[in-house]
Amino acid sequence: MSDIAVRARLGLAEVHGRRLVIAVRLVAGAAIAAFALSTPGFASPLSINALLTAISFIGCVAVGMTFITITGNIMSLSLGATVSASALIFLASLSFGVPGALALAILFGVSVSAAQGMVVGHLRAHPILVSIAALSLLMGGAALATGGQRIYPAGTGLHIFKGRVAGIPVEALYFFATVALGQFILSWTRIGRVMVMVGSNRRAATAAGLRAASAVTTAYVIAGACSALAGVLLAARYGSGDMELGAGYDYSAIAAVLVGGTSIQGGAGSVMRTLIGVLVIAIIEVVLLLRGFSQQLQYLITGIIVLAVIMLHTISYGR
Amino acid sequence: MKKAAAVLLAPTARPFTIMAGAILVLALIDRGTGYLFSLGTVFSVMQLFATLGLVALGLGLSMLVREFDLSVAGIVGLAGCIAVMTGVANPWLGVLFGVAAGAASGLLQGLIMTRLQLSSVGVTLGGLLTLQGITYVLTGNKTVGYPNVAVALELNAPIAGLVSVRSACALAVFVFAALTMRYTHIGRDVIATGSDRRASRIAGLNTDRIIVAVFAASGACAALAGVLLGYGLGAASPVALADVLAPAAAAAIIGGVSVAGGSGSPMGIAAGVLTLCILRSGLSAIGVEPHVHDLVTGGILAVIAVLDAPDLTRRITAWRLDLTERWARAVAGSR
Amino acid sequence: MPVLAVERITKRFGTNEVLKDVSLALERAEVRAICGENGAGKSTLVKIITGVHRPDAGVVLIDGKPTEIADPQHAQAHGIAVVAQELSLPPALSVLDNIWLGNRAVPLFHRRRELRERARGALERVGLGDLSLDTPVLQLSIGGRQLVELARMLTRDARVFILDEPTATLSDIEIERIFAALRALKAEGKAIIYITHRLGEVFEACDTVSVLRNGELVGTRRTAEIDRAELMRMMLGRSMAEMYPDRDSKAGTPMLVVKNLWVPPLVANFNLSAPRGAVICLAGQVGSGAIEIVRALTGLACDATGEVSIAGKPLRLRSVAKAQACKLRFISEDRAGEGVFLRLSVGHNLVATRLPDHARFGILARRSLRVAAARLAAAVGLDRARLSSPADELSGGNQQKLAFGRAIGDAPGVLLMNEPTRGVDVGARADIYRLIRQFCAEGYCVVMASSDLEEVLGIADVVVTMYRGRRVATYRSGEADMQRVLSDITHQVAAA
Repeated sequence: MSDIAVRARLGLAEVHGRRLVIAVRLVAGAAIAAFALSTPGFASPLSINALLTAISFIGCVAVGMTFITITGNIMSLSLGATVSASALIFLASLSFGVPGALALAILFGVSVSAAQGMVVGHLRAHPILVSIAALSLLMGGAALATGGQRIYPAGTGLHIFKGRVAGIPVEALYFFATVALGQFILSWTRIGRVMVMVGSNRRAATAAGLRAASAVTTAYVIAGACSALAGVLLAARYGSGDMELGAGYDYSAIAAVLVGGTSIQGGAGSVMRTLIGVLVIAIIEVVLLLRGFSQQLQYLITGIIVLAVIMLHTISYGR
Repeated sequence: MKKAAAVLLAPTARPFTIMAGAILVLALIDRGTGYLFSLGTVFSVMQLFATLGLVALGLGLSMLVREFDLSVAGIVGLAGCIAVMTGVANPWLGVLFGVAAGAASGLLQGLIMTRLQLSSVGVTLGGLLTLQGITYVLTGNKTVGYPNVAVALELNAPIAGLVSVRSACALAVFVFAALTMRYTHIGRDVIATGSDRRASRIAGLNTDRIIVAVFAASGACAALAGVLLGYGLGAASPVALADVLAPAAAAAIIGGVSVAGGSGSPMGIAAGVLTLCILRSGLSAIGVEPHVHDLVTGGILAVIAVLDAPDLTRRITAWRLDLTERWARAVAGSR
Repeated sequence: MPVLAVERITKRFGTNEVLKDVSLALERAEVRAICGENGAGKSTLVKIITGVHRPDAGVVLIDGKPTEIADPQHAQAHGIAVVAQELSLPPALSVLDNIWLGNRAVPLFHRRRELRERARGALERVGLGDLSLDTPVLQLSIGGRQLVELARMLTRDARVFILDEPTATLSDIEIERIFAALRALKAEGKAIIYITHRLGEVFEACDTVSVLRNGELVGTRRTAEIDRAELMRMMLGRSMAEMYPDRDSKAGTPMLVVKNLWVPPLVANFNLSAPRGAVICLAGQVGSGAIEIVRALTGLACDATGEVSIAGKPLRLRSVAKAQACKLRFISEDRAGEGVFLRLSVGHNLVATRLPDHARFGILARRSLRVAAARLAAAVGLDRARLSSPADELSGGNQQKLAFGRAIGDAPGVLLMNEPTRGVDVGARADIYRLIRQFCAEGYCVVMASSDLEEVLGIADVVVTMYRGRRVATYRSGEADMQRVLSDITHQVAAA
């Protein structure tokens, strides 16, 4: 069925489709904001801080996932494991001092992701398959290295990544900095523009002489760095870690990316949209919690809203 | 020698070659102590097969049509809980409701995908979250026990020491799927849809109907896995098999299903599942630590990912030709 | 009572009106040709009759009754069988499975001897009697696949058979077999629609011909009552001379020199010398190697070998980036799949290859990119107002102009093109031919592969005819004529 036939079926005229979706998004955003602000306790500093802290960890990973999705590589199922493993490396290397440990953790995240990026970029291996392989290798490797034990800090200095600055949680500041840097790379640099083109049509990018493989590898490197950062922040927050630390982050991250409006096909989207996606999901969860919905209903309602938003976005993009 | 390799590594034969390879490697490690090749090992392999196999079959079917059903994990959990909750008095009722729920969820997601022309990743992701949510609501976020102990025992009782009712069920489903794919035109239509959807539609196939049916079947398979698991364990929990997606995908891919669609078969998937289960049971029977299993699975997947990569031969050919040309130029230059 | 008729069919894609108020009627045992240039609307009309598209206005009538054909299955149920222009054979299936694919009459358990035998019979009718039914389709050549499609069509229990450019990949012997099969169908009382722009075939195989031009029906005639010149006039609406700009007789020094080019598995030992300011056309059907040669020169063939030099400097094959560095520009035959970034804006598309020139330390100077995009759009005749619209909103012709815009370099180089006017409407085609001449005037060397012989004869300074990977002949402008070129590319061995 052609795209036009689909829209005709849904009663949306082709010309007005885009305007309609923008209108719906504005209304939905306003509704969420109203819903949130009218909830007792939502606007309190305590709750806002808790919200900001919570979104920082998933948010960093989601920024990384955005790059992978925009280059047309759908998603990665290994980012959560990368988060956990980087956290473990960070904790275990604290004996080299904080900068050293941070560098090692980020280097680890970058290397693990770069390896995947090269296989996906140069050989066009299937990204989900490669990420599943990496996931297994990470889990097995971590179990081998840690013997299943929790890892505790080998040194001091974790406080740099905790606490508040001017009332805002430090984690949130790192997150916002990541968002800003990520958006800058995507919109203002040459490699960012190439990434979007590669995601839009990889064959056309190759035929135009663009270095598609490097762009994909760079996207994965960024994702690895973002995941490693999230791991460091989590390690600082919880003071110890194991491989369960980042469990489930992949699904939450890709949900945030899709809710924000980045297209799963690649070639369209932005880091700012992912920020919105992260905020929307987090706000809905917090509001449901504050309004006394049981945890079960929270899951259910969040799931339904994610599904509905994804459907809405994809209708506006066509196929 | 090369010809033998070509035959063994051909797409239809490869899963079985890998399985044989896995058995061989384990036998070598075992070195005749006899731990590996015992009835007990076979039985535990088949027990694992009962669950992982059905989930892999469901996921594999969706991959055959070039889609990816992320929601299988959610269906396993939901169906298990529904069966355990409704099947106390009459176990068959629980089976009915559980499998129906799985088929319905697959059907609904398939309809959303085809009517609205959406990609399966987004829809099944939302589906996964929704199904998990429904499961949490139904169970009140607790593990639900299954008091009908007799059923649990019966399901897990060894038959001829090799299989249990659970794994026999799974095998029966596989056989049914294999026969359907081979001898009815449904099999041909599914492969055609995955191989080239546009061409199939022009040729006259109703590809939308095929995709919806495939997702319904995938949901039913995953649901049956959840039901059998719930009955077998005597309990169902909302987080029963959160990590089932990676092994199921690995099994399907080792089993010859291409993520690009259009190739694979139920028997191949069975071989892939058996390979993973043999590795897990075999390695633990020998006394190797569990993390080796993850490393081995990851390693096999990485190798397959690279070997199946579309641009692998292109890159190798281009690199080889560049090398030859450079060498020729160097030789010509030195004369 | 006509077995199939269409009345006042109109179809729009976006702002582009592809079919305007078209009506025609087809009787039993009639072989109707539908002719028109690239972009005249022939394939769209076929897609409407076969249920792939729905018309925006007008009806399809079967046996006089208005019928809504919602999808290809409906069309099949109403007795319409088609061989489409783009092949519809899923490569993973065998020949046997592909022949029966989508056939509503096939029972659930489809592994029956009767079906195998009927498939074998159909293969024999198209000349593939020796082919094993279990061969995977992806092992067949393009011509072989076309014949399998035709065999599939023959197994359909239909009253109307539609063939869209069925001979584009076939040799003369194979073409003759197809005509024989069509004669047999006609004798059985079937109605046949035959879409082609090969005028010789119209007169050889068809009773009547309808001409479409620019989406409108120009008229329907009996083939016995008109001649080739009249048919050409109906198709073009003007003389050929008005479509193609004048040639510049001064060609310059050799710019692109190809020696010993091998592109496995098709092309062997190909040589070419192309001067500045000239248009070299490699004329050939699909599978002749023409397209493969152009792609190899671009750097897209990973196993191409040979010695190529541009203005004396050697060109490294197998790398698009290296080719671009030698001032080679490429316009793909697969616009949607390889040419244009459909969801990105027109402006983004135009400057896709210029990013390093407008970036410092990796950071883009977005304003100067916008200025560059506007300049390129003006150079190829694209409306500046469209610069921020997504490229998929442009018509086929405008998308092709976009591809030309991207190919403009800072200094004249070599422009490589495959099928430059495929899917482009007549107005835009004239613009594109003008653009090609403009490139030549600025000193570019243009090498293009095309299967549209009218186009080749109209635009080329040098015609190189290709068949199955080998050069057949070379003609300077004025030496070539339609008859000889056509017989070259279908490998008709001339009578002594």
